[in-house]
Amino acid sequence: MEIIRNLARRKLRSTLTILGIVIGIFALTTMGAMAEHFNALLDGGVKYFGSNVQVGAPDGQAAILPTSKLSELERVEGVDAVFPAYSFLAKPGQVTAVSFGIPDFIAGSDPAEARYVALKTTTADGRDLTPSSHGEVVLGTSIANEFKKKVGDTIDLPVKPADAKPDFVNHTFTVVGILNPTRTAPDSFAYISISDAQMLFRDSLPVAIRDSVNTTQVAQGFTVYGKPGTSLRELDRIASRINQDVSGVKATKPSDLVNSFKSGGATFTAITTAAAVLALVIGGLSVVNTMIMAVTERFREIGLKKAVGAHTGHILREYLAEAVLIGFLGGAIGYGLGVVLTNLLNVAGKASNLELFLVTPTLTAIALSFAVALGALAGVIPAFRAARLDPVLALRTTN
Amino acid sequence: MANVELVELTKHYRQGKTVVRALDGVSLEIGAGEFVSVMGRSGSGKTTMLDLIGLLLRPTSGKVLIDGAEASRLKDNQRADVRGQQVGFIFQEFNLLPALNLLENVMLPLRYTKSKVKDGRARALELIEAVGLEERIKHRPDELSGGQQQRVAIARALINRPAMVLGDEPTGAVDTQTSQELVGLMRSLNREEGVTFVIVTHDLDLASRADRMIRLKDGRVLSDEPVRSVA
Repeated sequence: MEIIRNLARRKLRSTLTILGIVIGIFALTTMGAMAEHFNALLDGGVKYFGSNVQVGAPDGQAAILPTSKLSELERVEGVDAVFPAYSFLAKPGQVTAVSFGIPDFIAGSDPAEARYVALKTTTADGRDLTPSSHGEVVLGTSIANEFKKKVGDTIDLPVKPADAKPDFVNHTFTVVGILNPTRTAPDSFAYISISDAQMLFRDSLPVAIRDSVNTTQVAQGFTVYGKPGTSLRELDRIASRINQDVSGVKATKPSDLVNSFKSGGATFTAITTAAAVLALVIGGLSVVNTMIMAVTERFREIGLKKAVGAHTGHILREYLAEAVLIGFLGGAIGYGLGVVLTNLLNVAGKASNLELFLVTPTLTAIALSFAVALGALAGVIPAFRAARLDPVLALRTTN
Repeated sequence: MANVELVELTKHYRQGKTVVRALDGVSLEIGAGEFVSVMGRSGSGKTTMLDLIGLLLRPTSGKVLIDGAEASRLKDNQRADVRGQQVGFIFQEFNLLPALNLLENVMLPLRYTKSKVKDGRARALELIEAVGLEERIKHRPDELSGGQQQRVAIARALINRPAMVLGDEPTGAVDTQTSQELVGLMRSLNREEGVTFVIVTHDLDLASRADRMIRLKDGRVLSDEPVRSVA
């Protein structure tokens, strides 16, 4: 109680000091929530691309590969399954040069692939696609929210651009399932059957060659799996063997993809954390300053407490507690404001599939414990100064 | 009860190149329940002697014995414990904590000591009543007059049932009438509680109402005699 009253004695100074911590923890929370969001996205990439080998056309060639390559790939040592890959922008023509999320995609999906995929998805509503699905779509949670679709609704895919040419074609799909949130790529994906994907692939070809290509015989690429649980190192070896044994394709080492995701995540986390820590250091210095002033102003009080029996440890604890309280108050307010702001921005961005923030329990623990630790750390020097005061000198101080 | 004994007590300070002999070989005894005034000019060593008795200072040489036990050589925290349990302090400037109300100020020493007082709050209320401030227990120091603040300080000094109360100019910051009231209060508490009072003062009226007056000059005892005209 005395600690709170002491803070209240210098309301403006205490408020400004707490505000310093508020700004720091607010920055840490918002920046951290952004980093957590991107890390969740990137973790999904690490999980997905770390579980298979992506095979595409050789560098410089269009992404059209004959499905006959599928059987060649299946014969490569260590390969357990191969699936043709098709994906299309769900909103073609939209400018996505600068994006804070993953754009909406339509992906061809073979139900048999679910056995191999490391990034598991589950349906929140409805059901998965079946091997005989036709004209059906399973939507990720973000894309479902964006288009306000529920099971039983229909959606035209790809979405017709405002300036679509007369030869633009899209198809009506019935929503049969909505996925649970994954916080990564599948949230903005629309999954259709392979046969429907081949139909969209045909529609995506230039009119001049559209009728001359049998899209059931071609794929944009292949996703190659080893047996479930195959290590990343073994998948790298499979990629090397594919490049060596199968002509006309290029397999990317999954470790290269995984590393690029990880380094992207590390860089982003470093930048956001550094910005937040800078704000916190400034807040911490203001706590040091406030506590030194508090100790200086209260020399006689400290002397009196020592005269009536306070040990060095008592004084140390009292001043540390005051600094910790400043840190905690600033932290709680800063964290609260950060959560409110990130939630508001997420709600505002939901309609355009632009949820940028993810407040995780880890982030909450880091933000609050960092605030308390900062207060304690900032309070150590002033508290020691107070605790070591000579009671006689302290009592004779004139404030 | 308290029996304070000072044995060849000296305290020397270094001020630049010169050594100040604030206290220079003082030996005396103070019996339990005595009301003693210590007088002398500024710089005579009064406050230094009080600080040494109260274990706020360490002597350069000599001993302070409290109830026959050598106390001046104890470690810091042990000295703090002795202060908390056996010594009460009254200062000229009251030294109440502005963040605490009257009752909390009186109870402050209980926060830091293993008190022999079983019910601290009841003891505090009893003392507050004894100093006549029972109507103001929730008031903060800045809501009290100087005399009232010093009454609170007196109650605080007695909360732990100390063996002795040390006062450093306790009437130095109040008017004459308040000073007389405070002296009367200390004397009655001295009698009722049987606690020893050692009061450093320039106030002749206060000194004349003590049992005994010690005069210091240049760090030495100039005179030490009973006061005949006890009030």
